[in-house]
Amino acid sequence: MFTFIVLLGFTSYYFGRRKAYTIQSTNKRLTALPQFYGYYLAIWCAIPAFIIFSLWAIFEPTIVKLLILSDYSNQGYLDDELNLIYEKTKALSRGQFTGEITPFIEASAEKYLSLRSIAQSSKAVIVLSIIIASVAYAYKKISSNSRTREPVEKFLKAVLFTASLAAILTTVGIVFSLIFQTIDFFKVIPLFDFVFGTHWYPAKAFVRDSSEALDPTMYSDTFGAVPIFAGTFFIAFIAMCVAIPIGLMSGIYLAEYASVKVRQYAKPLIEILAGIPTVVYGFFAALTVGPFLKEIGNSMGLDVSAESALAAGGVMGIMIIPFISSLSDDVITSVPQSLRDGSYAMGATKSETIKKVIFPAALPGIVGSILLGVSRAIGETMIVVMASGLAANLTLNPLESTSTITAQIVVILIGDQAFGDPKTQAAFALGMSLFLVTLCLNIVALRVVKKYREKYE
Amino acid sequence: MKKNGVKMIKINSKNVDVFYGKKQALFNINLDIEENQVTALIGPSGCGKSTFLRCLNRMNDVIDICRVKGQIIINDFDINDKSCDVVRLREKIGMVFQKPNPFPKTIYENISYGPTIHGMAQSKNEMDEIVETSLKKAALWEEVKDRLHEPGTGLSGGQQQRLCIARAISVKPEVILMDEPCSALDPIATAQIEELIDELKKDHTIIIVTHSMAQAARVSQNTGFFHLGELIEHGSTDKIFKNPENKKTQDYITGRFG
Repeated sequence: MFTFIVLLGFTSYYFGRRKAYTIQSTNKRLTALPQFYGYYLAIWCAIPAFIIFSLWAIFEPTIVKLLILSDYSNQGYLDDELNLIYEKTKALSRGQFTGEITPFIEASAEKYLSLRSIAQSSKAVIVLSIIIASVAYAYKKISSNSRTREPVEKFLKAVLFTASLAAILTTVGIVFSLIFQTIDFFKVIPLFDFVFGTHWYPAKAFVRDSSEALDPTMYSDTFGAVPIFAGTFFIAFIAMCVAIPIGLMSGIYLAEYASVKVRQYAKPLIEILAGIPTVVYGFFAALTVGPFLKEIGNSMGLDVSAESALAAGGVMGIMIIPFISSLSDDVITSVPQSLRDGSYAMGATKSETIKKVIFPAALPGIVGSILLGVSRAIGETMIVVMASGLAANLTLNPLESTSTITAQIVVILIGDQAFGDPKTQAAFALGMSLFLVTLCLNIVALRVVKKYREKYE
Repeated sequence: MKKNGVKMIKINSKNVDVFYGKKQALFNINLDIEENQVTALIGPSGCGKSTFLRCLNRMNDVIDICRVKGQIIINDFDINDKSCDVVRLREKIGMVFQKPNPFPKTIYENISYGPTIHGMAQSKNEMDEIVETSLKKAALWEEVKDRLHEPGTGLSGGQQQRLCIARAISVKPEVILMDEPCSALDPIATAQIEELIDELKKDHTIIIVTHSMAQAARVSQNTGFFHLGELIEHGSTDKIFKNPENKKTQDYITGRFG
């Protein structure tokens, strides 16, 4: 059916164009190129088809359900029971019903099947007749002076608009789902306890029977987010300690010192780092760097956890290097050559020029790239889940294990979860706070970058 | 400035060839620049006059593929010699560019940049003085004295160019190279800069590349005419403009080509 409509679309395109050529051959000037006539007809074919299909998809199940259940009305069934009967009917008609088969339901299933087939064939007939009618109408309508270009352009604009709308609506939807669950969570757990509590132990909320379920005292000292926020920022801090100096210096090297040839090869090579899946970084951190640090630490008489914040943060830093180096390379390169010339002409050396002219000029852009790196570090999940441990310790010792917001969300949501359970909702609350933090960072970063752009215009 | 009626030669260039990669941009240039005079370099676009100017403070070093051959002697010293210290050379030979290029710093910092690099001021007071004199010499002091700590990029185009001139003279260079310094400016700002050039030649030797023959005639005492990488003719501005020896010079001056 779908293939057929696509074929029809192509056919109407062909007819539209042919008609345009015919008009052209009678020495009349067209208002648009011939293919616009084709597109115009194809659109007249696609839009009605799309509308009918979507209407059908919305109303068909409801109508069929009404028809089936009309047999059962006046028999004193409750709504829930009726729903159940309908589900049973559907299952039976697909041959997936395993329970006891009553003649009633069998009859309904047969009726269901026949209704469905009627619906299918009537849908086909209606769609086809409407498409043909609309195409024929449009075909008759087009003549040498009919406008086809504008509707086609408008249609394209509408399609593009819908696409971007879809992306935005998804974001809005995500935010709303976070908001409602978060509000539910804070109905049980006071906001104060969440923001300032220093004990994070969601497993405790699981050890209970149903009688305790709504007892708020049960949850005190359970969902204090301070340790995992601290852990998140701590690991991000370690990551940035690695990423900023190395990324910045390699960015400066690439932009200012590297010859064209070196830059040509070195930049993609550094960017390969950005292409490594984070799960690979994760087991690199957990299985290679972590044990290695532990061994070194032990040989120096330090007590190093195999899952240390240092290992996770360090590897995360390596992951972020390409971001910072690539972005800062870009902003440094975009500092106008005239500023470099001005500085060299004053007798400044290369390093003086970089330090005193180029770096300050590029600083806003560099800060922007660093902030983007930070928000990436805070949102990073795989590495911390694998390498930094899941126990939410409140510690500033990089050799101990800590946990982060993302890792805790993973811990909470792995396996089966009950909706409406504070433990599950805690994940939403964490997700919401994470979203807010990275959102703020991104906004600040974009602002800074934008300010920088205006400077040289 | 004349000493006993003999003109002092500040820069003496001998057989200068410049190559960009395999392409030769300048052919055997021999040009003497007189001290405390304004020398204008004229010629059609792409004739090599800017390239020659950039040879004089070795700014061509910045361009990877550029090679310079021949001798350029300033103060009895060949600046193309390996022993030449580029930092010291550029301290002595300042440069002003086509487009005003103040650093994205304050007006004060723009001027103090050079003196800081070359360690010319021992104290804040000395630096203040250098900034003030440089700005005064560049005829900008009155306009900016109340906002020295505002960004230099906020000035108008003509002011920015005078700021760049002030920046160049802050290190007391002997020679100032100007690469079409007025091409991005309006006539009023141009007139101000030209007046300034006349002032500056008391203390500095000035070489100016310009596309405007009227400007060359107005500001310079000597003129060199470049065409296709060759120095066609050079001599006093009067002579070049009124009585050129070469046919090409005559054609260019009278606007028949270029």
